[in-house]
Amino acid sequence: MTDISPEMWAKVPAAEKVTPVAPPAPTYGQEVRRRLWANKPAVVSIVFIILLVIAAFFGPYLSPHTYYKQDLKLANIPPFFETYAVTDGAGETTRFFLNASNFNLYEVDAEGNMLGLLRGGRKDMIKKSQPYEFGDQTLTLDYSKLPVRLLLEDGSEVRPSGWSWNKTYLFGTDQLGRDILVRQLYGAQISLTVAFVATLVNFFIGVFYGGIAGYMGGKVDAVMMRFVEIISTIPLTLYVVLLMVVFDSGLLSIIVAIGSVFWVDMARIVRGQILSLKSQDYVAAARTMGASPARILTRHLLPNSIGPIIVTLTMLIPSAIFIESFMSFIGLGVTPPLASWGSLTSEAVETLRAYPHQLFFPAAAISLTMFAFNFLGDGLRDALDPRVGR
Amino acid sequence: MTQPLLQLRDLHKHFRLPAAPFAPKPVLRAVDGVDLDLMKGETLGLVGESGCGKSTLARTVIRLHEPTSGSIVFDGQEVGKAPEGLLGNFRRRVQMIFQDPYASLNPRMSVGDLIAEPLEIAGVGTAAERRKKVTGLLDRVGLPSDSAQRFAHEFSGGQRQRIGIARAIALEPDLVICDEPISALDVSVQAQVVNMLEDLQADLGLTYLFITHDLSMVRHISDRIGVMYLGKIVELASSADLYHRPSHPYTRALLSAIPVPDPEAGRAAEPMQGEIPSPIDIPSGCRFRTRCPLATELCARQEPQLTDIGGGHLAACHFAGELAQQANGVRAPLQERVQ
Repeated sequence: MTDISPEMWAKVPAAEKVTPVAPPAPTYGQEVRRRLWANKPAVVSIVFIILLVIAAFFGPYLSPHTYYKQDLKLANIPPFFETYAVTDGAGETTRFFLNASNFNLYEVDAEGNMLGLLRGGRKDMIKKSQPYEFGDQTLTLDYSKLPVRLLLEDGSEVRPSGWSWNKTYLFGTDQLGRDILVRQLYGAQISLTVAFVATLVNFFIGVFYGGIAGYMGGKVDAVMMRFVEIISTIPLTLYVVLLMVVFDSGLLSIIVAIGSVFWVDMARIVRGQILSLKSQDYVAAARTMGASPARILTRHLLPNSIGPIIVTLTMLIPSAIFIESFMSFIGLGVTPPLASWGSLTSEAVETLRAYPHQLFFPAAAISLTMFAFNFLGDGLRDALDPRVGR
Repeated sequence: MTQPLLQLRDLHKHFRLPAAPFAPKPVLRAVDGVDLDLMKGETLGLVGESGCGKSTLARTVIRLHEPTSGSIVFDGQEVGKAPEGLLGNFRRRVQMIFQDPYASLNPRMSVGDLIAEPLEIAGVGTAAERRKKVTGLLDRVGLPSDSAQRFAHEFSGGQRQRIGIARAIALEPDLVICDEPISALDVSVQAQVVNMLEDLQADLGLTYLFITHDLSMVRHISDRIGVMYLGKIVELASSADLYHRPSHPYTRALLSAIPVPDPEAGRAAEPMQGEIPSPIDIPSGCRFRTRCPLATELCARQEPQLTDIGGGHLAACHFAGELAQQANGVRAPLQERVQ
């Protein structure tokens, strides 16, 4: 045990008046951030969304391809393939892969870069075969029965030497030979733009409309909300389709269509919030000070309903993305050659059996983005709720 | 006699309740004919059971509710029917302190913004001047000046009520309506807040309409006390007089219900029977007769008016005179109890 000298036990001289220092309480914002950070799916979603936005708006500049340039010779290339290697008499090796769905051979290099379409000899329409010459070697592509086989002159089958990712077209190409990755990034641009703009429109109309209905109450509220109910009884998709028919199809009209219909949810939420908040004493206090209705609405009621508003917004984004995709899917969306995720899927569905990769990537993009926004919305709802975790 | 600061004449506030379509809507008569004069600088306590209409009266006076009928005259001006747009001066000179210090402060505003809000609405000073004023007000209600950046939820109930008080006195009003300002607070904090209210009254020359159901606190703070029952004032007297000569059976019952910190004291002499009747269906004649130990056939027929039984002591009971007489002798033990 350490010795404590007696003088250390002496009383500390009465200090000057000590003011107790309370640690600064975390602000509401810090609390929200902490709770959001603790929600892993929401954090992953935020990262995903940020990456998606960056990729959508800067990605296309990094790519050598454009969304509209067609190369029919390199159509329907998959994102990965099994490579064959053939050595001719001069010792030169040709690498290529076989597109089993259109019976073409494409030359690639060892890394998987596309070099081009291999020209074969005359097709034998009766025996369903086509010869390919590599120096002194001749391979015969036999498509008389599936699966397609590559035969040497002695009739033995050539086996693939390995498989490789497609380095030129990372996601492959579509039926017009356009790079799917770039088209998908452009599609993301369009889908995200539609989603954000439509959501912003929803935000302003919904908050304004719901705020007024909730604050005025009584007959005004009754009439305004019946109007909302009329709009919401019409199936929204049907309504959007009709609007798209009246307008021309195109990016702007999608935004107008989605923005002019989807605000009803927001109006309902805001109205409900305002209705429950306006009987709070702090609103009464503001009224006794002579605050104008506009001031009460903007300074007191809306700031206190910001949580549900943000959550509704993040939940509206995926449904706007989905509606846009759906519109494009049924052909009412963006005009070709512009791509959106919906038009990419609808094009891909036609060749689903032969080239499933064309559907996989845009479908995955839609699903993941919707997941991300939904998780983020859930996370924000939990994080913004002051009753949780205090 | 000088003109009262606030004058209520036959003030009514009725609420129409929702009913089935085409059925007559029942009317809830929360405030049912109140006459009251409030002198400058005095504190008028208003007591009564829950649901007797005292909070509604407060909210009607400050025009949170539109009065159904009757007049509210503030400093010689009729404000009961004035449209909201013409109430500017009234809004500035009359402020309110609310019962619940948790609900009456906007959780999204910093304390500085909360206190500055009345100044901002009234257009007083520049932002910098308002900030300075807020610091002064915080100091005045005994809160550290760095509170301005904080939010209401970081404070205790008593501190929040101080914020509410700072907000109410920010514009240096003439009349402050205190709607049960201490009933949500801890007993230990109640006294601090009440003392602060008294200090502020002395410093700023405030007039208080002090609503409470705490009979011991109201005696301490009030110059005069009004007793409300079912939307009406049934007795109004100076604070000492009311406790000394309670002249309405309801007042007597209320006073006898004050708990006594003495286990030997026994039960209250006149326990009140039953519940307060519904303000939708007010009894005929005297509205207290259903629970009154003295009720006679006269009480059912005729509603007693608020009459002076001597020395400015008003009571609305047919037997007020007798009760007052009686109180001088018999009520002595009761007075001891309330002290």
